[in-house]
Amino acid sequence: MQTILSIAADALAYGMVLFIISIGLSVTMGLMKVVNLAHGAFAMIGGYIASYATQQMGLPFGVAILAAVLGTMLIAVPLERFLYRRIYGAPELTQVLMTIGITFAIIGIANFVMGPTLKTIALPAQLQGPVDLGFRTIAAHKLFAVAVGIIVAGALWFIIERTPFGVRLRASVDDAAMAGALGVKTKIVYAVSFALAVGLAALGGVVGAQLLPIEPYYALHYMVTFLVVVSVGGAGSIAGALVAALLLGAVQTTGRYLMPEYGEFFFYLAVIAIVCVFPNGLMGRSK
Amino acid sequence: MSDISLTSTKPVWQRTAMRDLIAVLILAAVAALGYLLFPSNLALLTRIIAVMLLVLSLDLVTGYSGVATLGHATVFGAGAYAAGIFAAKFGVTDPLLMLAIGALAGAIAGALSSLIILRGHGLSQLVLSIAVVSLAHEAANKLSAWTGGSDGLSGIAPAPLLGLFRFDLFGRTAFIMAVVLLIAVFVVLRIIVRSPFGMLCRGIKQDPIRVRAMGAPVYFTLVKMYAIAGAVAGLGGALSAIATKVVGLDSLSFTMSAEALVMLVLGGTGKLYGAMIGTLVFVWFEDRVSAINPFHWLTIVGVLLVIVVLFAPKGLTGAAETLWTRLRRQS
Amino acid sequence: MKKLVLASLLLALSSSVTFADTIKVGVVGPFSGPAALQGKNFQAGINAWLAVNGNTIGDDTIEIVYRDLPAPDPAQSAALTQELIVSEGVQYLAGYYYTPDAMAAAPILEEGNVPMVVFNAATSAIVNASPYVVRTSFTTWQTSTPMAAVARQRGIDKVITVVSDYGPGVDSEAAFVAGFTGAGGEIVESVRMPMNTNDFSPMMQRIKDSGAEAVFAFLPAGPATLGFVQAYVENGLKDAGVTLLAPGDLTQEPDLAALGDNALGLLTTFHYAVSHDSPENSAFVEAASKAIGSASELSFPAVGAYDGMYVISKMIEATGGNQDAAAAVEAVKGLSWVSPRGPVSINPENRHLTQNIYLREVALEDGQYINKEIQTFENQGDPGWKAP
Repeated sequence: MQTILSIAADALAYGMVLFIISIGLSVTMGLMKVVNLAHGAFAMIGGYIASYATQQMGLPFGVAILAAVLGTMLIAVPLERFLYRRIYGAPELTQVLMTIGITFAIIGIANFVMGPTLKTIALPAQLQGPVDLGFRTIAAHKLFAVAVGIIVAGALWFIIERTPFGVRLRASVDDAAMAGALGVKTKIVYAVSFALAVGLAALGGVVGAQLLPIEPYYALHYMVTFLVVVSVGGAGSIAGALVAALLLGAVQTTGRYLMPEYGEFFFYLAVIAIVCVFPNGLMGRSK
Repeated sequence: MSDISLTSTKPVWQRTAMRDLIAVLILAAVAALGYLLFPSNLALLTRIIAVMLLVLSLDLVTGYSGVATLGHATVFGAGAYAAGIFAAKFGVTDPLLMLAIGALAGAIAGALSSLIILRGHGLSQLVLSIAVVSLAHEAANKLSAWTGGSDGLSGIAPAPLLGLFRFDLFGRTAFIMAVVLLIAVFVVLRIIVRSPFGMLCRGIKQDPIRVRAMGAPVYFTLVKMYAIAGAVAGLGGALSAIATKVVGLDSLSFTMSAEALVMLVLGGTGKLYGAMIGTLVFVWFEDRVSAINPFHWLTIVGVLLVIVVLFAPKGLTGAAETLWTRLRRQS
Repeated sequence: MKKLVLASLLLALSSSVTFADTIKVGVVGPFSGPAALQGKNFQAGINAWLAVNGNTIGDDTIEIVYRDLPAPDPAQSAALTQELIVSEGVQYLAGYYYTPDAMAAAPILEEGNVPMVVFNAATSAIVNASPYVVRTSFTTWQTSTPMAAVARQRGIDKVITVVSDYGPGVDSEAAFVAGFTGAGGEIVESVRMPMNTNDFSPMMQRIKDSGAEAVFAFLPAGPATLGFVQAYVENGLKDAGVTLLAPGDLTQEPDLAALGDNALGLLTTFHYAVSHDSPENSAFVEAASKAIGSASELSFPAVGAYDGMYVISKMIEATGGNQDAAAAVEAVKGLSWVSPRGPVSINPENRHLTQNIYLREVALEDGQYINKEIQTFENQGDPGWKAP
């Protein structure tokens, strides 16, 4: 029993980190129909900014998170304006080529600017050290990740379902031409959504940096994992991404505990099984 | 306009045969030029041809049949490991036999993996293909008694080609064998993509529902195409095993699959020469840039890809064709 | 007139060639990609050696030709190696970070009449792939075996081994298990983790549940070590007194700053620590730090490259600059010298280094995390090597 609880706690924390980073990708892929393989690169940029802010400039953790999110958005806005806008609605393969190119370039630049070594983010004292859960101890930053994940899920749901912006976004997604005719400035809606997605990536990069350490090849290492989570959940669905992240986190964590030798087999077999049964993802809309 | 009406008076098969002959001659000429201009880079040229076979194979399923995959190295690696294992563990060292084994293994791997990959569409298809190549990679890592795991499968010592030509330091034998193989594959593929079967695949790419409504077996046709593509990539893998004498896990990796897709899109999908030009340009560019500045080439390659999407969204061959028709219209 | 100028120009060219030869050394390594840091260390070791000893040997000038191989890729390794031999005309090959890359280069050495000095790749069998392979790094067997003795000396009876599931990890596990059970210890469990594991908490839970007194771990130097050491501390294993033992890949110096206080007190066995106390090492560290730009990026591949350059210089001396791979390799068999890592010699039987392996403890000195050497295992051969 204790073992099961223990695995569940680890799986929850890991799944939440996956969720925070992947949800931004789910927005770009589901709502804007862009296969953005550079998503991990934006998470990495966020991590680098937070690392620089806490280690070199000595800023507090909260400020560093804010700086990471805003800084990454700032970098992403011109990219959206000049590069991504050209591939909205383009064939998937073209999008793959462009975003892989962007990823390569960001990796090369990160390597040059930040160096090839590992970078860490200094955590405040409250997030360091273990917290006693009764049946076991768990790292405080993992609980923080869980909390952030819940807040992100709630806030996103609120924005998309309950705000005027959410209405415009959903309208643009359903029928961009019609929404435009009704006075929705779709270009702005897309730009804002893209910035939102990138900001979420950066947030995830910072919050998840303890599990997915920041180094130049971050962008390639975890690209597949994020893509898998979005696809299993169903692109564009918040609940889907949450369920997928938690489910895949559970499969991977359980596999690692029970049969680490075959851990990856479990993971990919689970992916194949789910995608074969639900080709549009667990909660995706059918096309 | 005028020359079309002129040639169209001849029977169709004659026209296409003529074009095939010209294409083969161009291929042979380019290969001969490579041999003469870069006599000391034959190993690189051989490697390029091996990768070309992979990208050609990818073009069959992606460009001609509309299957999106980021896991195509599965079939390349299957061919490489099959040929390598038979050579290193069972003493099957005849290079032509190794090629045959590679093609067979690739075809089997292609047919099997298509059973999974064809279950999805679009994004889910990409993810399924990634899962397949990752599983294959893990399996090869696990079966290290057979595959050498991450240390690579070594001990492959191919016998002289036809019992006459040794695989030498300069890589002449391997290169000439590769060129002959490429030309043979090219001719066969030209025939296949023009056949009713090839046309059916294109039809499926454009509108699978309509093809199904016509009563044609969509799923089975794609599995068959996948097996053919698998054989082509398997030949590439076996060629790589023969020329390199070592097979590594990279030949079964997601990275290799992604690079192959990049090369295909770079060259232009749905055209055999697009696949070959894309491979040549990408590998050559990568090799040159990384030799000039090994420390920062990744950035340059990335920027190149972005530029291609912005200014040549149909790939290099697509851009060249557009330019060509524009020039002709003007003249 | 024109002809005369041309003739004199040709004469000048040809004369310069006959009086002083340029000897090219081809270096293949990961200068970009995830292991770019290790490639940088190859370069730092080479440049440090050239800075200390100059780039001439007798009348001959050494020229280094770099080729980038970012990830294990035997096909590309073979292509680069062939191109270096045939088109660049290199007389010596060096570098090779990953085992499959070295394996792919080995078959063409004899025909190319070129010796190969491996700066890193650490699988025992590489030296068997060709009689022209000499290695100045270490093998995983060599660095892992002494840890078994350390564990027994510290009164540890039950150990769980946890290794990354790939060649070097499996080698490391085999070496430790052989040494530890041979010395009367008990292995309670052997776990292999997938290469891309990033959350190590479940692993730590398993280690806890196994009831072992110590855990022997192998992970490749780089990002994963951070998560592993952190999980070890955060899951309370350090506080519970479960000792973490590992070969030095886990605590390579450039990663130490990121590992931070979590790593303090970790025990590792390895062939080289940047903090090694000797005049030879001080000179090396000074030159290599200058070459790499920042002392904090210096790591073990640099010393493999530095010693490799020494071996190549001895080969050039012995052959008088002529291309004769067999004579060059013969000349360095049995060679012994004092390396920055301590006294070393080349075992004539397998052309691999016999060297000291040190037990080190991660310590904080002058605000720097270092691998502090606390025990020496002298003149260790390669226990993993089997005659072909």
